[in-house]
Amino acid sequence: MLDLTQGQFVKHVIMHPFEGFEDLRWKKKGSMKIAFAIVCLLFIQQIAYNRLYGFQYYSDYDKIFNIVPYIFKSFILFGVWVVANWAMCTLFDGEGSMKNIFIYSAYALVPYITGYLIGTVLSHFLIQDEYIFIQAFEIIGLCWSFILAISAMKAVHQFSFGKTIALILLTLVAMVAMLFLLVLLLTLFQQVLIFIFSIYTELSYRFRV
Amino acid sequence: MSGLKKLISLASAAALTFSMCAVSASATEAYNPYNYDRWGDPIASQAGYTADYFVSGDDIGVGSLSEPADLFVSYDDLMYIVDKGNNRIIVTDMDFNLVREMKDFTYEGEATTLKKPTGIFVDQYTGAIYIADNENERVIKCDEEGNISKIYGRPDTELYSSDLTYNPNKVIVDKAGNVYVVVKSVTKGAVMFDSDGDFIGYYGANRVEQTAEVIANAFWNLISTEEQRSRTTKSTPIGFTNFDIDDMGFIYTVTESTETTTDLVKKLNPEGNNILDSLGVDNDFQFGDTSPTYYSIYAKNSSLTDIDIGPNGELNILDFQHGRIFQYDKEAWLLFIMGGTGEQLGTFRSATAIESYDNKLFVLDSRKNTVTVFTRTAFGEIVTEASNLYNDGKYEESLEPWLSVLKYDGNYRRAYIGIGNALFNRGDYREAMDYFEISISRSRYDRAYEGYRNEWIKAHFTLIIVVIIVLIVLLIVYGQLKKRGKLKFLRKGGA
Repeated sequence: MLDLTQGQFVKHVIMHPFEGFEDLRWKKKGSMKIAFAIVCLLFIQQIAYNRLYGFQYYSDYDKIFNIVPYIFKSFILFGVWVVANWAMCTLFDGEGSMKNIFIYSAYALVPYITGYLIGTVLSHFLIQDEYIFIQAFEIIGLCWSFILAISAMKAVHQFSFGKTIALILLTLVAMVAMLFLLVLLLTLFQQVLIFIFSIYTELSYRFRV
Repeated sequence: MSGLKKLISLASAAALTFSMCAVSASATEAYNPYNYDRWGDPIASQAGYTADYFVSGDDIGVGSLSEPADLFVSYDDLMYIVDKGNNRIIVTDMDFNLVREMKDFTYEGEATTLKKPTGIFVDQYTGAIYIADNENERVIKCDEEGNISKIYGRPDTELYSSDLTYNPNKVIVDKAGNVYVVVKSVTKGAVMFDSDGDFIGYYGANRVEQTAEVIANAFWNLISTEEQRSRTTKSTPIGFTNFDIDDMGFIYTVTESTETTTDLVKKLNPEGNNILDSLGVDNDFQFGDTSPTYYSIYAKNSSLTDIDIGPNGELNILDFQHGRIFQYDKEAWLLFIMGGTGEQLGTFRSATAIESYDNKLFVLDSRKNTVTVFTRTAFGEIVTEASNLYNDGKYEESLEPWLSVLKYDGNYRRAYIGIGNALFNRGDYREAMDYFEISISRSRYDRAYEGYRNEWIKAHFTLIIVVIIVLIVLLIVYGQLKKRGKLKFLRKGGA
């Protein structure tokens, strides 16, 4: 029963939104490598969505390219989600480890990434009047991923449905709080760096004379 | 000794020549001509007009002007200069030779004079001259000899509130003989008289800009009492500053305001509705500079003070704040920007009025007391030709001029759109797509792409069908083989 490779399990999980993650947990499967590859794919998808979309639909301000927003929208946001979720689940007596949360959440992202990548490819072949086809792929991918995410959280923590929803909402709140603190921290560090740098400048002027 | 002197002068002359060569061809302008790209960023461009010379009152032979306030080129090719400080009107021909000076007027046998006149209009149908006689609180209608036939005084009606002053600032007259007067204190639009001099009403008021404060006030007014309401600030629009009328009878207004962006430039139909709202999709109607100019720490927005409709329906808009002239074509596409603040030829200290005649622009400066004459350059001529052809729907005829525009200025976005449209009309969809992509105009690119795709599908129809059939056959074969277990070698070993 269910003697699947790690790769085949990804497909199994996506195709069985209600049972897949339970099977994954029961078989103690799930690969960190694949999960990380999926997050990298999310990063690529974010860039493709902004820079490689069909010209008839979207043209970005192309005089500058800043990669930081894309890193934020993929790696940082995902990382914050995982940490916030883990932090919240300890309060709720969830069973998931940080590693499992990472893997299960990443697997749940696959339909979203695929839907948007298909949309990006299609945008080169369709005209504006036919946007609804692209939109269909994108919306289906998004909804699918949403269902998978609920299922994944339910399986990884062994929660009831209501508790899972509560956990997800609380995770989002925690994410906002964490990001706020992150920004605060960055600003403070910036101040400290400026302070250290000004001391260095001061000293270097002193010793030159 | 003299040999050394010669050498030095030669060297300095050479250095001067080289330094002049180093700067671009537009170095004859006292300012850097620019245009706006698709993103609203300023981008260097060629000069569409060049400042030729300026004329002062002494050049005309009437003594120096004093705070001239308005300029008007009439249907019979005469230039009217309103010399506000000297209470007179100066009439010259188009080469600034004095024709007459209007100073003394007669009304019903009595002599009268002007007092700080600020506006003038000559009716092309009757030849009558209308003068906004600002401090005499009247608009007079007279002939060229100065015989006043009618006076449009303060409207004697309850609709004209008694706390408002009546200082006519600008005046225009439409085909039917209705007189429109801009009064600074009136925010409801232009004061409108019929041809008999009776007050009709107000025309073409601006809207109030929807700011957060205005919306909040509207909310509080819903729940507050009558007394409280009387104490809150009223949301009144800013009245427009100046206007012009074209041959079709449309009235164009400009509003001199650095704070609002609503209704700064309007094209009004006889009902008083702004029809610039209903033009094409790609135009976002922002007139003047898109972002403020910074003088050290002070941000200065454009302040549009006068508008003039050119012979091809182009809009010449004068920015008092930066002394710049913005020329738009009749579809409100930006053509050229010229002028600046300063003392040199082509720059202004207080640009007040603008008029156009043929390929010339006249700009009145009320502090330099001069009229500056701009003439269209070769580049300007080509752009004007191309854009006129384009606006008349003659896309294919406009192809050649647009191509030569690109030789002058490779950044001129309008040219790429023009060429793209010409190619599109001709059916060269693939090339049209390239031009639309460079000009970043998505909806046009979309239409070109649709044409290109249809052509491609038509040309490769058999191939597409064959590929689809082959794919279906392959899938069926694959399915059958898989069923019979003959593809074991393809599976990955172990699970």
